[in-house]
Amino acid sequence: MTGPVADEFDLTPSPSRPESSGRRAVPVLVVLLVVAAIVGVLVKTLGDATLVFHGVDAAVELRSDLGDDRFRVVGTPLPGLVETRVDGESAVVFTLCSAGAYADVVHVGDPAELFQPGVPVVLQGAWTAGSVPGIAGLDAPAADGWHLRTDHMVVKHDNDYRVEEGRQADIAACGATG
Amino acid sequence: MTETMVTTGTTTGSGGSRVLGAVTLLGLATLLLFAFGLTEPDVRLHPTTGEEIGQFDAVRLLYLHVPLAVFTYVAFVLCAVASAGYLVRRTPWFDTMAHAAAEVGTVFCGLVLVTGSIWGRPVWNTWWEWGDVRLMTTLVLFLMFAGYLALRRATVDPRAAALRGAVVALVAVLDLPLVNRSVEWWENRTLHQKSTLGELKIQDLTLFTLMLGFLVFGLVLAWLLLHRFRVGWLEREDAELGVATAIAERRAAIDGGDVDAAVGEDA
Repeated sequence: MTGPVADEFDLTPSPSRPESSGRRAVPVLVVLLVVAAIVGVLVKTLGDATLVFHGVDAAVELRSDLGDDRFRVVGTPLPGLVETRVDGESAVVFTLCSAGAYADVVHVGDPAELFQPGVPVVLQGAWTAGSVPGIAGLDAPAADGWHLRTDHMVVKHDNDYRVEEGRQADIAACGATG
Repeated sequence: MTETMVTTGTTTGSGGSRVLGAVTLLGLATLLLFAFGLTEPDVRLHPTTGEEIGQFDAVRLLYLHVPLAVFTYVAFVLCAVASAGYLVRRTPWFDTMAHAAAEVGTVFCGLVLVTGSIWGRPVWNTWWEWGDVRLMTTLVLFLMFAGYLALRRATVDPRAAALRGAVVALVAVLDLPLVNRSVEWWENRTLHQKSTLGELKIQDLTLFTLMLGFLVFGLVLAWLLLHRFRVGWLEREDAELGVATAIAERRAAIDGGDVDAAVGEDA
């Protein structure tokens, strides 16, 4: 640097000015929001016992423990569906099967679009004692004096993507896909 | 007088990146043609009832969804590796790479959630399933990297942004194994299938199209990453150029004896 006034100026970079308290609060707020969202998701996922899927065999075995509690059950509908009405709502009645255990189901409301015998489903509902409407139309009912009254159905697809003209689905005993 | 001059480019494009972009766009068009035109829908016959079962046309979305998911993993792992590199070396290259990978990965992760949701409505009968562990761990992954990006923007100090970002990235990436292995570890808490490729339950044109999807989305990731990295690098150079220019102007003013200009009181 040259010139008579150069010495009057110190061009050494000064430390950056500290951020204002408002500015400092933003990252803290963002972190808190993200942490809250993550904790919310984890609590929602891990804290809700109804979100665990029981097999039909486990659901039958735990019937007395489950009582009136809502739970989820996974299994494969057997051929033979009966469409009926329950309490003024449309319903479908079928037998659900997994691991050699059977349960009759009364699903109230519209079933899933891809709901068909042989396609595994996850149902949410509770055990109900008493007769099953339309049971006479089922091919192989459990007919044990209990049925699952469900109102939420999602389809659990398999991992088979082999496409051949006219290929039959691999459906093993008790309807489980393989 | 010695002046520090920082030169900066004006574009993120180059001959190589333009070729890569053209190949990527061509690849995307080809993938869409195969996915939505040339492959068959997923239809099988029930052995007892003879009825058609399967995912039908909804399966076509998986040629996008699955490769997007895989390259989300790749982007976030790259972000974590670059973040670790930054913590060790403290050089801007690592930080710029980590930031670029996180941003592209977050976009990919968002697309994974959206395509999965669109596919899930006809196939699962739901847009979203709170009980599905893979969905939840993927949502957590998305939130953590969205938080990473927000955190970086929340400070003007680039060193603080880089340091905080690196730490968050290294924590967030721990969720990746949970996302990937969730279908094996919590089989009774997910609607997601187990691995199709691992059990070779895919073949012929279906397999080819999925592989094409991996190739194309790999190119998309590389292309976006390249440009985002260059944007980050140019931003950094631009900031440095601004400081260098200001200092040079002050020095010139001092050398010229213009004290008012030097202290910024000439207006």
